[in-house]
Amino acid sequence: MINKLAIENVSKSFGNVAVLHDVSFVVRGGEFLSVLGPSGCGKTTLLRILIGLETPDSGKIFKDDADITTLPASMRKMGMVFQNYALFENMTALRNVEYALLKSSALKNSYNRATAREKAEEMLEIVGLEKFFDSKPSQLSGGQQQRVAIARTLALNPDIILFDEPMSALDVDMRLSLRAEIKELAKKFRTTMIYITHDQEEAFAMSDRIAIMNAGKIHQIDTPHNIIESPADEFVENFVIKNINIKINSLIHFQRKS
Amino acid sequence: MKSNHLKILLCLLWLFMIVLPLLRMLSTMAGLNLFEVMTARKFSRAFWQSLNVSSVATFISVSVAGVLSWAVARTNVKHKQLISTLIIVPMLIPSISHGMGLIIIFGANGVVSKIFGLTGGIYGFWGIVFGSVMYSFPVAYLMLYDILRYEDGTPYEAAEVIGLGAIDRFFAITLPYLRKPLISVIFATFTMIITDYGVPLMIGGKYITLPVMMYQDVIGMLDFGKGSAIGVVLLIPAAVACVLDMVSRDSNRLSFVGKPHAIKDNHARDLVAKVIIFAVIVAIFVPIVAFSVIAFIKKYPVNMAMSFAHAARAFEIGALKYLANSLIIAVAVSLLGTALALFNAYMTARAKTKLSYFLHLMSIVSLAVPGIVLGLSYVMFFKGSMIYGGLVILLVVNITHFFASPYLMAYNTFSKLNENLESVGLIMGISRLSVVRDVILPQSKQTIVKMMSYFFINSMMTISAVSFLSNTFNKPLSLMIPQFEGQMQIECAAFVSLVILGANVMMKILEDFSLKLTR
Ligand SMILES: Nc1ncnc2c1ncn2[C@@H]1O[C@H](COP(=O)(O)OP(=O)(O)OP(=O)(O)O)[C@@H](O)[C@H]1O
Ligand SMILES: [Mg+2]
Repeated sequence: MINKLAIENVSKSFGNVAVLHDVSFVVRGGEFLSVLGPSGCGKTTLLRILIGLETPDSGKIFKDDADITTLPASMRKMGMVFQNYALFENMTALRNVEYALLKSSALKNSYNRATAREKAEEMLEIVGLEKFFDSKPSQLSGGQQQRVAIARTLALNPDIILFDEPMSALDVDMRLSLRAEIKELAKKFRTTMIYITHDQEEAFAMSDRIAIMNAGKIHQIDTPHNIIESPADEFVENFVIKNINIKINSLIHFQRKS
Repeated sequence: MKSNHLKILLCLLWLFMIVLPLLRMLSTMAGLNLFEVMTARKFSRAFWQSLNVSSVATFISVSVAGVLSWAVARTNVKHKQLISTLIIVPMLIPSISHGMGLIIIFGANGVVSKIFGLTGGIYGFWGIVFGSVMYSFPVAYLMLYDILRYEDGTPYEAAEVIGLGAIDRFFAITLPYLRKPLISVIFATFTMIITDYGVPLMIGGKYITLPVMMYQDVIGMLDFGKGSAIGVVLLIPAAVACVLDMVSRDSNRLSFVGKPHAIKDNHARDLVAKVIIFAVIVAIFVPIVAFSVIAFIKKYPVNMAMSFAHAARAFEIGALKYLANSLIIAVAVSLLGTALALFNAYMTARAKTKLSYFLHLMSIVSLAVPGIVLGLSYVMFFKGSMIYGGLVILLVVNITHFFASPYLMAYNTFSKLNENLESVGLIMGISRLSVVRDVILPQSKQTIVKMMSYFFINSMMTISAVSFLSNTFNKPLSLMIPQFEGQMQIECAAFVSLVILGANVMMKILEDFSLKLTR
C-alpha cells in the first residue's frame, strides 16, 4: 500500500456540456498535489469522480493498481473535506467524529461507544480542539469548524484525502495556521493529499507538485519550481505570470522552507 | 435509479389526489353549453356580486393589514410577539364563525343594532365585506409584516443623507420595493375571499356569490355540470395568485440581504401605532367574545340568563362524535400530511434529478385549487370508490387541500441545509436513512412542528372541501356550524365555533411550547 492514484483517460459531460476531456495523470503515494485552475474548469468534478460521488463517462481510476472506477465511495478508503465544512450541525464537535466512527459501514462496527469516544477525543486533540469537545458547530469559528471536519475525515483513517477549497471561506490568518497544520498532518499520517485551491500562493507554498488545469484538461503537472521555470504552454505561463508577485513571494517562502 | 422510482410514485400519487379529480370535474363540462351557463342571469349576477364584494373586501383587508404591519414592524411598540399572536387568533376559527360574530353584533337582533335602534342589520354586501375582512386580514398581515421586517434599511439611510422627506421616501423607496410582493398579497387575499363560502352563506342573505351558488347547485340540486363551470371560474384567480406568489417568492429572496431597518425614537408615531393596534385587537376580539357569550345564553336576545342548554343540544345531536371525527382527522392529517410533505420535499430539495422540478410543481398545484373546487372534483372522481363516505376520503382531501404551505416550509428548510451532507454520508459509509434520521430531521424540528400545527388547525376548521364529502357518519365538527345556521340555532353554532377555537388555541400553545423546547 503506497496510496497512489492513477487516472486514465477520464472524460465526463453533463448533458451536452463536456467538463473533463480525456484526463490522465498519476498521484504518487504520500505526495501533496494541488490542483489549480480557473473557476468552472472541472476541478470539483474531477474530485467527485476520484472519490466516487460521480462516475466518469469513460476512462478508469486505479488505486494502488486496483481498478476502483465503479467501487462505491465508502469502500475506497478515501476522505473528502468540503469548502463549507459539511458538519452535522445538530451534533457537538465530539459527536460529529464519534458518529462517523460508529456509523461507517467501512469500519464494520470495529468501534463501540467507549472506543469511538476515545478515538474521537484523540482526533480532536490532534487538530487542537481539546477545549471544544462539547461545542456545536455554530459556536465555533470557520477555522475551528474546518478542523472538526478534518478530524472527522482523519478518524476513518483514509489512505487519500481530497480537499475542495477547504480554506476559501476563512480569513487570512486562519488560512496560514491551518495551512501549516494540514502539511503537518500529511507528514504525520503519510496520507496522500489532493488539494484544490484558488489561491496560487497556497498551492505554491504547500505542494510537492501542482496540476494546472483549464477547460477540462490538465496542462501541466510538475513541481512548483518547474512550473515557474519552464511552463509547459502559453496557458500555464499566463496563468502563473498573472500572479508574478505572489509567485516571487512564495518562491522565497518555498526556498526558505526547503 | 431508486430515487427516481420514488419520485414517479409520488407523481402518481398527485395524479390521483389532484390532477385526475380536477380533470374529471372539467370533463363534466364537455356536454354543457358553457356559454349558456355563463350568460344565465343568475350566474352573471353571482359573478358580478362576487367580484364586487371581493374587491371591496380585499381593498379594506389589505389596507388594514398594511397599516397594522407598519404599526408593528416600523415602530418601537412593545410586546411585538404578543401582538402578532393576538392578531392571528382569527385564523384559528372557520370563516363562517366570523360571519356569525358579526350577526350577533350587527344583525337584525344584534347587540349594537339594538342599542342604536338600527333595523335590518348587516346582511348582504357589507356583511360579506366585513366578515371577509375579519378572517383574511391576519393572513395579509403576516405576509406584509414579513416583507416590511426584512426590507433593507440602507436606501432609507441614503435618502436621509440626501434629505428626502417622509412622503418622498414612501414613493421613492417603500412603494417600488413593496410593489411586487404587494401585488401577490392582494391576489392571495382576493382569492381567499372570492373562493370562501362560509361568510356569504352565513351573512350574505339574498346577496348570492359564486361559491354559495355552486354549493346550492351541487348540494341542493345535484347539478354537477353547472357546479363545475363555477369551479372553473374560481380556479382562475387562484391560479393567478399562485403564479404571482412564485414569482415574488423568487425575486424577494434577493432583497433579503442588507441591513435591518433602524427604528428611531418617535413617541408621537408610537402612540398612533398603539392606538391602531389596540383598535384592531378590540375589533378582532369583540365578535369572538360575542359568540363565546352567546353560546351560554338561554335565548338571545329574549332571555339573557346563563344556560348550558345549547351545549347540551349540540351534544344531543352528536357533537361529541363529530368532535371525535374532527380530532381523528386533524391528528391523522397532521401526522400523515407532515410525513408526506417531508418525504416529498426531501425528494425535490435534496435528491435532485430532472424529475424533481416536475414533482415540485405537482406538489404545489393545490395552492391554485380552492377548497370547494377540490371538494367538488373529489365527489365526482371518488364516488363509488372504496374510500368514499368514510373518514379516509376526508383525510385525503385535507392533506391535498393544505399540502402546499407545509410542503414549501419543508422544501425551504431542506434547501438551506448544507448540500454536502449526503455526500459525506456516501463517502463515510453512513446510510442515507441514517443521515436523514440523525442529521437532517433533527435540524428541521422547528419546521416539522410548524407543519404539524398548520395541518391540524386547518383540518379542524375547514368547511369547504369536506362539505361535499361528508355524511352523518364521517362529518367533522366544523360542519355543524352551517347545519345549525340552517336551523336558525345560532347559539349552538356559536358553541361549536368555540369548541373549535379551543382546540386550535390548544394546538397553538402546544406549538409554541414545542418550538421553545426544540430551540
Ligand atoms: N451536476 C452538474 N450538472 C450539470 N453541470 C454541472 C454539474 N456539476 C458541474 N457542472 C458544470 O461543470 C463545469 C465544471 O464544474 P466544476 O464544479 O467541476 O468546476 P470547478 O473547477 O470546481 O469550479 P470552481 O472553481 O468555481 O469551484 C461547470 O461549467 C459546471 O457548471
Ligand atoms: Mg469547485
